[in-house]
Amino acid sequence: MMTLTVKDSQLVVDPPTARGKGRHRRVPALPENSLRRLVANTGVLAARLLRRWSRDSATLFASVIMPIVLLVTVDIVLGEGVTQITKHDALYGTVPLIAMVGIMGGANGSGISLMRERTDGLLSRLWVLPVHRASGLASRLVADVFRIEVTTAAVLCVGLMLGFRFHQGPLAWVAWMLVPVALGLAFSATVITISLYASDKVMVDATEIIWIVLMFFSTGFVPLHLYPDWIQPFVEHQPVSLAVEAMRGLSHGGEVRGPLIEMLLWAAGIAAAVAIPMALGYRKASTHG
Amino acid sequence: MTEMSAARPSVSSVQQWWVLTARTITPTFRNAELPTLAVASIIFTAAFYLPLKNLMGPVIGGMSSYAQYLTPMMAIQAIAFAAVSAAFRSAVDSVQGINRRFKALPIGRLIPMASRLSATMYRCVIALSIALLAGHVIGFRFYGGTAHTVSFCILALLIGATLALLGDLIGTWNENPEATLPIMVVPQLIFGLLSVGLQPIHRFPEWIQPFVRNQPVSQWVIAMRALAGDSTPAAGAVTWNSIGPALAWILGAMLILIPLHALVATRRR
Amino acid sequence: MRSTDNAVVVEGIRKSFGSVAALRDINFTVGRGEVLALLGPNGAGKTTMVDILSTLTRPDGGQAVVAGHDVVSDPAGVRRSIMLTGQQVALDDLLTGRENLVMFGRLQGLKKSRARARAAELLDEFDLVHAAERKVTTYSGGMRRRIDIACGLVVRPEVVFLDEPTTGLDPRSRQAIWQLVSDFKEAGIATLLTTQYLEEADILSDRITVIDHGTVIAEGTADQLKERTGATYCEIVPRHMEDIPAIAEVLGSLLLLDQNHPGLTLTAESDRISMPAPEGPNTLMRALHQLTAANIELLDIGLRRPSLDEVFFALTKRHPEDKSVVEVEFGRNGQPSGGQPPEHTDGKSARRTDVEISS
Repeated sequence: MMTLTVKDSQLVVDPPTARGKGRHRRVPALPENSLRRLVANTGVLAARLLRRWSRDSATLFASVIMPIVLLVTVDIVLGEGVTQITKHDALYGTVPLIAMVGIMGGANGSGISLMRERTDGLLSRLWVLPVHRASGLASRLVADVFRIEVTTAAVLCVGLMLGFRFHQGPLAWVAWMLVPVALGLAFSATVITISLYASDKVMVDATEIIWIVLMFFSTGFVPLHLYPDWIQPFVEHQPVSLAVEAMRGLSHGGEVRGPLIEMLLWAAGIAAAVAIPMALGYRKASTHG
Repeated sequence: MTEMSAARPSVSSVQQWWVLTARTITPTFRNAELPTLAVASIIFTAAFYLPLKNLMGPVIGGMSSYAQYLTPMMAIQAIAFAAVSAAFRSAVDSVQGINRRFKALPIGRLIPMASRLSATMYRCVIALSIALLAGHVIGFRFYGGTAHTVSFCILALLIGATLALLGDLIGTWNENPEATLPIMVVPQLIFGLLSVGLQPIHRFPEWIQPFVRNQPVSQWVIAMRALAGDSTPAAGAVTWNSIGPALAWILGAMLILIPLHALVATRRR
Repeated sequence: MRSTDNAVVVEGIRKSFGSVAALRDINFTVGRGEVLALLGPNGAGKTTMVDILSTLTRPDGGQAVVAGHDVVSDPAGVRRSIMLTGQQVALDDLLTGRENLVMFGRLQGLKKSRARARAAELLDEFDLVHAAERKVTTYSGGMRRRIDIACGLVVRPEVVFLDEPTTGLDPRSRQAIWQLVSDFKEAGIATLLTTQYLEEADILSDRITVIDHGTVIAEGTADQLKERTGATYCEIVPRHMEDIPAIAEVLGSLLLLDQNHPGLTLTAESDRISMPAPEGPNTLMRALHQLTAANIELLDIGLRRPSLDEVFFALTKRHPEDKSVVEVEFGRNGQPSGGQPPEHTDGKSARRTDVEISS
């Protein structure tokens, strides 16, 4: 039924001479840790993840359906109330907020599937391949960028249906789409790191609490001055609020640079904090000590 | 021929139930689950109260404070969080194949479910306690006397049981822990937000008011507000009118869920 | 620089996890085109050894060279030359068989078109074309193992590590894997096989290295190992179990321990008798002659060589699959092999009696 004939004609290797003789070289290798390798490997692995996620109903649900439903619901509940107070459509705050919430909610699935792959042995299998050592992690982050954009786009579409408009021109629109990426990636990295060091359950609970706090205590939910005085500094300067304000400025109008820079500082800070634990944790998960 | 094994003891359902229940409760004393539950309950309270207090303040239908208005809702949210965790856990269980194992043992069909339910109720009690504590901190008080207060708690736990049943059913049927979470969280948010728990019905757009008025969470909140009472008569009196629908929803849900659960528990794959 | 004729060279490897010494001073080699079986009970250190050789773990000391690359100083080189397949099937199971193959091909440097072509070839060779577009989650156990191995062969390796490759497979799939191993041999690929199936090691391997508690306790070909631990013996199975004591009397006390049960006491469960057959067929003839004369009906009588199972008993004092001590002793001519005499359930220690058959 099955015979293996090793056909070398397709590969760039030396054909075996006699048994036991000759060195059999692989594809002439770029050193494993070269940049070109990194890009190529990351591309293949990211494509794998995206293909995987597109076939997994849970990720789609969390990344697309949940945010849409949430947007509509929050707009129904608070839309009028907030609009009356701020004198402009609440959507300009709600849409970016829900986009961020969808991004954070979808990061869960990333962490869980990472842990699954560790248990299944796929991480080790990939580690033993001649790929760039950083490509595994890099691919997850790259795939996440796509996920972030899909969520943002989905929420934007529904927002447009509800009355959201861009008043600052096409360039601002592009920028608007890109703002969530920085913070979203920082959040993904955090979720991955938590997954690598704690159990699934802990990660899930922790991230749910985090995004609930970030959602309810942000200026995208309710205008700043309505919060009790003592909590306003937190509300004003937490990263999701900053993202919301930057995006509000890019769509409706208002200050962009200040919030944007502050948000980028947050993202950079978080990324810097988790970078090393994440890399170490990933390696630990792929190897056996 | 020597005895290869002890004679099979008679099966005690209660013992089986207890063993299975203890299995999920004992670890919680050691791991981070209880503190997480506590933190979650507190966060829910703060997350709804602090942003909305001033937004809603002047329009809460005559009740003494927003805290009094909101606390029943937060109790439900905290309990719902516990129920969602239950669903996740049962999904993990079924993925790990323990359920399959149970199906082949001489355990009553509903015992594994009953034990999961018990374990979840334990968590719901904790969630409720913390939520009430948090409510107390922001100014919520029981005005109704002992009987009503106890009824309040019982109602809350019944709600928890219903949600736990629902979550457990979904988790077992679904067998996909990753998918179970969003499936549970989204309805929780929708039903929670689109209810009178947060704001009076007249603040909702006209077209959605019928839904808001009649959905179960609103009914539960109305009942709980009546049972908790208030310094003003705005909370409503405790009559069959105010409590009835809430109980009807619970009863109806259980009548549907329990047989469904028996069905799923013996489903052959 | 080591001789490049050996695909794998392991010298003095040590590895501990905390206070547990998983490997102490392991030495062995695998030549090109050779199949080496690594045999040992659970916890012996086999998996750790494979982990070290596949760069999943770093050794605490010693040196290991795979295909000319040192595992510590040149792990990238090692990774280019090996294929590792473990007990778990480590693939992306939401992808189809073909997608997995293409992915592994591209990860190892093949261009997309070449990877696709190679994938098609492998699907054909491994008889998976009909399932190529289905997700791996839908595959049966045997199919998964095949696609797992196929993914490792997209680019030709120099050394193959098979970690318990046929565990849990149906006999047909197991045959297929065995065929694969001999194909590797023919192609000049070195194979390191770990297995708990002793028959597998027996049939497939050129040499066997037995590991226990982190050290190599024996090595050699299967035949050599069997020689070490016991000569041919003659096994007699009577038609009626009640005849066993009668046989024992007829043959005199030339009896070895009963195969299935420790001790000289023949319990009600003994169903056969083994005795040493120093003269091979002649001993058998004599036994048969005596038994026929005594009118004892036999179901089976034959010469057996000790199985690798028994080699295992002798070398490690225990069954390869469990950790408890089993009271069995074998030996040549009265010398118990290995350490102390075993204990019996009744507390007496066994002694082998060696009496010639008197004619």
